Amino acid sequence: MNTRKVLLGNEAIARGLIESGCDVITAYPGTPSSEILPAAAAFADELGTKTVVEWGANEKVALEVALGATFAGKRACAVMKQVGLNVAMDPFMSAAHFQLEGGMIVIVSDDPGCHASQDDQDSRGLALFAKVPCFDPASAEEAKSMVASAFELSEKHKVMVMLRPAVRIDHCRQDVQLGEVRHASAPADFKTRPAGHKVVMPARIMPFLEAHNARFEAIRQEFETGFGQYNFEIPAKRPATLGVIAGGVSFSIVKDLLEALGRDDVAILKIGTPVPLPEKLAEDFLARHERVLVLEETFPVIENQLLDRTRVMGRWNGWVPKQGELVPEVVESVLLKALGEEPPSDPALERLAAARERLGLSVKKPVLCAGCGHRPSYFAIRKALPDSIIASDIGCYSLSIQQQAVDTIVCMGASITVASGLACAWRSEGAAPRRPIFATLGDSTFFHNGMTGLATAVYNRHPFVLAIMDNRITAMTGGQDHPGTGDKPRQNETGVAVGLEEAVRGCGVSYLKVLEPYEVEANLETIREAWAYAKEHQEPAVLVFRHPCVTMLKARPEKRPVTVVAEKCIGCRFCQDRFGCPGLAWDGENRKARIDERFCVDCGVCVSACPHGAIVRIGEVL
Amino acid sequence: MQFIIVGIGGQGILFASRVLGHVALSKGLHVNGSEVHGMSQRGGSVISHFKIGSYASPLVRAKEADILLAFEQGEGLRNFHFLKKGGTALVNTDRPEAFSDPDLVAFLRAREVRLYPVEGTRLLREKMGGRFLFLNALILGALAASGASGFEAVDLKKAVAELAPARFREENLKAFELGFEALPERS
Ligand SMILES: Cc1ncc(C[n+]2csc(CCOP(=O)(O)OP(=O)(O)O)c2C)c(N)n1
Repeated sequence: MNTRKVLLGNEAIARGLIESGCDVITAYPGTPSSEILPAAAAFADELGTKTVVEWGANEKVALEVALGATFAGKRACAVMKQVGLNVAMDPFMSAAHFQLEGGMIVIVSDDPGCHASQDDQDSRGLALFAKVPCFDPASAEEAKSMVASAFELSEKHKVMVMLRPAVRIDHCRQDVQLGEVRHASAPADFKTRPAGHKVVMPARIMPFLEAHNARFEAIRQEFETGFGQYNFEIPAKRPATLGVIAGGVSFSIVKDLLEALGRDDVAILKIGTPVPLPEKLAEDFLARHERVLVLEETFPVIENQLLDRTRVMGRWNGWVPKQGELVPEVVESVLLKALGEEPPSDPALERLAAARERLGLSVKKPVLCAGCGHRPSYFAIRKALPDSIIASDIGCYSLSIQQQAVDTIVCMGASITVASGLACAWRSEGAAPRRPIFATLGDSTFFHNGMTGLATAVYNRHPFVLAIMDNRITAMTGGQDHPGTGDKPRQNETGVAVGLEEAVRGCGVSYLKVLEPYEVEANLETIREAWAYAKEHQEPAVLVFRHPCVTMLKARPEKRPVTVVAEKCIGCRFCQDRFGCPGLAWDGENRKARIDERFCVDCGVCVSACPHGAIVRIGEVL
Repeated sequence: MQFIIVGIGGQGILFASRVLGHVALSKGLHVNGSEVHGMSQRGGSVISHFKIGSYASPLVRAKEADILLAFEQGEGLRNFHFLKKGGTALVNTDRPEAFSDPDLVAFLRAREVRLYPVEGTRLLREKMGGRFLFLNALILGALAASGASGFEAVDLKKAVAELAPARFREENLKAFELGFEALPERS
C-alpha cells in the first residue's frame, strides 16, 4: 500500500501504533493528547486488528494496565498529557527500572504556552529524571515513524521508551504515508521466572539500578550513530556565522525561517532523541561553531546536558525566553538577536495597533456552551448560599470562574480534598465551618481521582457539600467515555457502566440527591438542605447535578424560547456577570441584555438569571 | 500558499482547512497546518494555520500569510498582522463601518491587502433560516469566487460536497453558492 493521507498529528501517531502491532493501548484524555486513542481505535477497526483500546479511569491506571500487558510479552502503550504523567509518576518510575518482556512506550503530550493546561511542563525532563529514553518528533510523519523506532529500541533494551510530541505536533495536520501492520507479538505468556524482574523491593532494586544506568549509556551510544534519520546536521552553504541546535517543532520553525529569510550562513543540528543526549554529536557541532543557539520547548533539556555551555546561547544566559511558546515570531527575534541584527521596522503595524485599540478588540475567552447544565448549577449554588466557598476542579465547569462561582482549582480531584482541608481549618479551632463549603467536580474527574478523596472525607467526618456536575461524558477534552458511561472506543464493544450513585454510596455517603440543573428555582431549597445536613451530621452530603452535555452528546434542550423585555432591563449586567451565556449578549450601545440568535439554543433557563424579571418566555410577554 | 483561518470556537473553522487539504492532496501537493483543539473550542478565539507546499513547520509566521479567512470580524481584525504584502483578507462582516477606521485603512493600503468583506451572518439569516453552522461553506464559496487560493471553484465545491456529512450536503452546497455570489467587487 502506498497512499498518503492528510492526518492530524495525533492520528498519525495512532496509525503508527497500529502499524507497529501495538497490542494494548490505554489512555486518559487530556489536551493535546486526547485524539490519539480514538484514532487508534478507528484504525484498528478499519484494519481489523485485535488491538485492545481502552480508557483508564486515570493516567496511573492507564500506565499500569499497559505495563501489565508487557509482563505477558505484548507491545503496549499508555497515552496522556503532561500533567497526566504527574498522576502516573509512581508506576512510571517503577516501570523505568524493569527489564520488560514486551515493548512499551509512554506517549506524553506537552503543551508549551499552556493552550489548554494548568501548567507548562517539559516531559523530556521527567524522562531524563527516570532515565527513560525519549523521542521528540518535529513533524507528524516523524512522530509516526518514531513510534516504530521506539518499540524496536524498547524491545532491544527491554526498556520503557517515551515519545514526547508537543502540541504543535499533536495538532498539526499533514500529509502522511500510510503503511500496513508490520509486527506481530509472540503469544501472551507470563514467565514466572526470573521472578525479580517484575518486583520492586528494597533488596532487589539495587542490581536493577546498575543495569538501568548501563542500559541508559548504551542507548546514548546508539543515539550517537544509529538514528541518523532523527539526529542530523543541515550545514550552512558557506562558513557558518551561527550554529543552531534544535529539537521538536522548534527545528521545523527555524528551518522554514532560514529558508524564508534566504540565509545560507546558519547551520542546524537537529536532535530527535534528546534523552539521553547524543553528547559526542553535540560536542562535535559545538567544536565547529563559534557560537551556538539552542532552541527547544520548553525547558533547557538538551541545553543542560551539554557539558560545556560557555559558547552556548540558550535559557541559562537569557538568550531564549524561559517561558512561553517558541512561535515563529519569537524564534525570528531570538535568531536575529543571536546574529546581531535588527528586525526590519514596520510602521504599518503601528497603524494596525492603533486601529485595534480604537475598535476595542481583545482575545475572546472560552465560555460554557449555551444550554450547558453546569452554568445553572453554579448559579443556583451561589444564589442559594451567596457566602459559600466553592472549591472547584478541572473540567468545562472551571469556566464558571466567569460566573464568579469558582474559588479554587488545584488539580484533578482536588475539589473534594481542598474542601476537606477548609473544613479542617475551622475544626482546628474547635468550630464548625463559618461559611458553607462546596466541592464541585465532573463525572469523569470523580472517577479519575474523586473517590479516594470522598472516602477520606466520609471517614474523617468532613462537613461540606459535594456537587457532582454529571454531564455523562468527559466534555472539556472533546467528549470521551469513562467508567460512568460504560461505552468503549472500539466498534461493537461495550463495557459496563459504573453507577455514579452506587460509587458515591459505596464511599459511605448517606445524603445523596440527584437534581436537574435547569430547574434553578426548585434546586435552591435542596442546596440549602444539603449544607444543613452536612453541618449537622458532620459528613459530606452529595448532590448530583445531572444534565447530558449539550455539545458532545448533542442533547438539544426542549425549546423554551425567551426574549428580553427592554423596558424591564435596567442594565445591571447581573445576567452577564453571574450567568454569562453566549446566547445572552450585551448590547453595549443601549446598555441592555439581548438574545443572540446565533448562539441561543432556546433552553429558557436564563429566565431565572434576571433579578428584575426582564427575561421572559416568548408567549408570556404582555 | 499560506492561510490563516480565524473565528470563535464552535463556528467550524477546522472544516475550511480540511477542505483545502483535500483539494491540495488530490493535486499531489504537501500540506502542513496547525489547529486548535481543547478548551478554546468552547466559544473562545480560535486560529488555524494552513500551508500548502513543502513546509517543515505547521505555523505561519506574521507577515507571511497569503490569505486570511475570518469567520468573525473582530477575530479577523486582530489577526491582520499575519498578512503579507499583497495578501487577501476575506472577512465575515457585521459592522462594515470598522473598515473605514483611518488607521486600518492606512495599514491595508501599506500592506496592499485585497479586502473582501462578506456579510455571511446576514445572508444565512435571510437565505438559510439562520442556520449559522453553514458559515464555513459560505466562506469557502467566497474564497472560490476571489480566486485567491489558486484552486478552481469546481474543485473547492467538490471537496465541500465530499467532506460534508451526507445529510447536510445540500445545505453546504447552497451556502457555498451564497458565498460565491456574495463576493463584492474588489475594495
Ligand atoms: C491529570 C490530568 N489529566 C487530564 C487532564 C485534562 N482534563 C482537563 S478537564 C478533564 C476532564 C473533565 O471531565 P469532567 O470532570 O467530566 O468535566 P466536563 O469537562 O465534562 O464538564 C480532563 C481529562 C488534566 N487537566 N489533568
